[in-house]
Amino acid sequence: MSHSTESSHLSAEHFDAPAAKKLSSLSFGISALGLLVSAFGLFNSREQFAFSWLFGFVLVFTLCVGALFWTILHHATDSEWGILVRRQMENLAGIIPALSVFFLPLLFLCAPILWKWWNVAPGADPLLDGKAAFLNHTFFSLRFVLYFVGLGGVAMVLVSRSKAQDEDGSSAHTFAMRKAAIIGLPVLGVCLTFAAVDWLMGLDYHWFSTMWGVYIFAGAAGSSMALLVLIITGLRNSGYLKAVNVEHYHVMGKFMLAFTVFWAYIGYSQYMLIWYANIPEETIYFKIRATESWHILSTLLVVGRFFIPFPFLLFQSTKKNPKVLCFVAAWMITMQILDLYLIVLPSLHQTGLAVSVYDFAAVAAVGGAAAGLFFKRLPMTCLFPKRDPRLAGSVNLHN
Amino acid sequence: MTHSRKVYGLGAEFESAAALMAAAEKIRDTGFSHWDVHTPFPIHGMDKAMGLGKSKLSAVVFVGGLMGLLTGVGLVTIPSLYIYPMIVHGKPYTWATLPAFFPIIFELTVLFSAFTAVATMLALNQLPRFHHPVFNWDRFTKFTDDGFMMVIEAKDAKFSESRTKALLEEIGGKNVTLIHD
Repeated sequence: MSHSTESSHLSAEHFDAPAAKKLSSLSFGISALGLLVSAFGLFNSREQFAFSWLFGFVLVFTLCVGALFWTILHHATDSEWGILVRRQMENLAGIIPALSVFFLPLLFLCAPILWKWWNVAPGADPLLDGKAAFLNHTFFSLRFVLYFVGLGGVAMVLVSRSKAQDEDGSSAHTFAMRKAAIIGLPVLGVCLTFAAVDWLMGLDYHWFSTMWGVYIFAGAAGSSMALLVLIITGLRNSGYLKAVNVEHYHVMGKFMLAFTVFWAYIGYSQYMLIWYANIPEETIYFKIRATESWHILSTLLVVGRFFIPFPFLLFQSTKKNPKVLCFVAAWMITMQILDLYLIVLPSLHQTGLAVSVYDFAAVAAVGGAAAGLFFKRLPMTCLFPKRDPRLAGSVNLHN
Repeated sequence: MTHSRKVYGLGAEFESAAALMAAAEKIRDTGFSHWDVHTPFPIHGMDKAMGLGKSKLSAVVFVGGLMGLLTGVGLVTIPSLYIYPMIVHGKPYTWATLPAFFPIIFELTVLFSAFTAVATMLALNQLPRFHHPVFNWDRFTKFTDDGFMMVIEAKDAKFSESRTKALLEEIGGKNVTLIHD
């Protein structure tokens, strides 16, 4: 596969700065609008705001952490296929530190609403007393800081080293990134798992599932790869990254297939163990999500997240067709939105679906800001790591 | 090896993987269909250089997996739902409780796919077999060490002892040898 001696004949490509500025302003505009509506919700309907905001925040968080996962995996496994598309994963992962700001309103203003254990006095609930060493205000806040120091730190090392390599072309950066990735792999695993437990499983502190962290990870990694496919296709349609060909789409499609199956495997394992054991404190999670209109959406999630994309992604011909793959990618991201919506919102509306304007506002606020940052940084670097020593291998990829 | 035996084909040795790849492209473009290359290690891109196209294996494995899936569904539902319907663990067996059987259905799908993959691979490669005519060429065993070999079979429509030999020599083949059955 590797033809290290061949040159790639690729000249550096930069995203058009005025176009990026336009897109970035548009995204920030949407974000501002979302923020405005959300701020109104914060004061007038705080409970709804809290859950909606958590949903919007976690959605963007999982997409960015998924991108960090692919960047880390790329370096840790020393892979070559994705060097051409790596810069876009890095651009997504680079948003992570800024996302921490969006968690602050939840931590400072909404914590007692979201996480019911927050204001339970010691001794009032023996089940909480047993978990008090973990579920207390200080440790919870400290963990929030640690997640962003950990994930953001790894992301910043990988992004800055990659940019530095664009400048000097030194292979020392490749080795440094590999080391950072190998350290980053357990950091990402621990941070994402505990973040999922803290923010999402903590919505009902009586409930627990040992599959929770890996379930969130499976959704994050799969949908993030789908987002990468959409970004790459968007850039190609605007006349950039013409070196990306069906071979790269094939690899990205294979990863989408892998994580479609993995999500189903983990989701099913979690469901089956709880359903079969039939212990009330465990089944409560699925009982709420099988109530009234939630049941329809839960069924849609199972069908839509696995049974619909699976037959598409199974065949080589569809993975090698960018149009079809983009359709499946957009579908996967829609299902990730539904997945997180079904995790967060039923805790508030236990009797059935109740769509709120603040759900959309939160997604617009956090998503718009993330997209704005993405477009702001897009023209600052070459669209691919132009001086990566093994770029030619990625350009001449054969599956 | 007596020369009264049927001719199997022509064998040629090449200097390197790159030389073999270039030669394979030429043979492919000439339009030969019954020929093969033998190398000590897999060469990326050789399938394209030989014009092999997509393997038929995946389509067969898909059918095998589908058979496993249907067998699994049938095996668990027919007895538990229709022949011996019983309540186990407080769960009456209906189609709604099918998740209890997913592991079995899943495993059978994997098992059938794996068996089909191995059996089809062997069948497509015409394996196992006791002997192959290429081993009648004394230099052929070098392909497990440092030899990059190409063999064109006599049953190919374009095969001609003299012209194919000349062609192999022209594209860089060394020790071009006639192999007998």
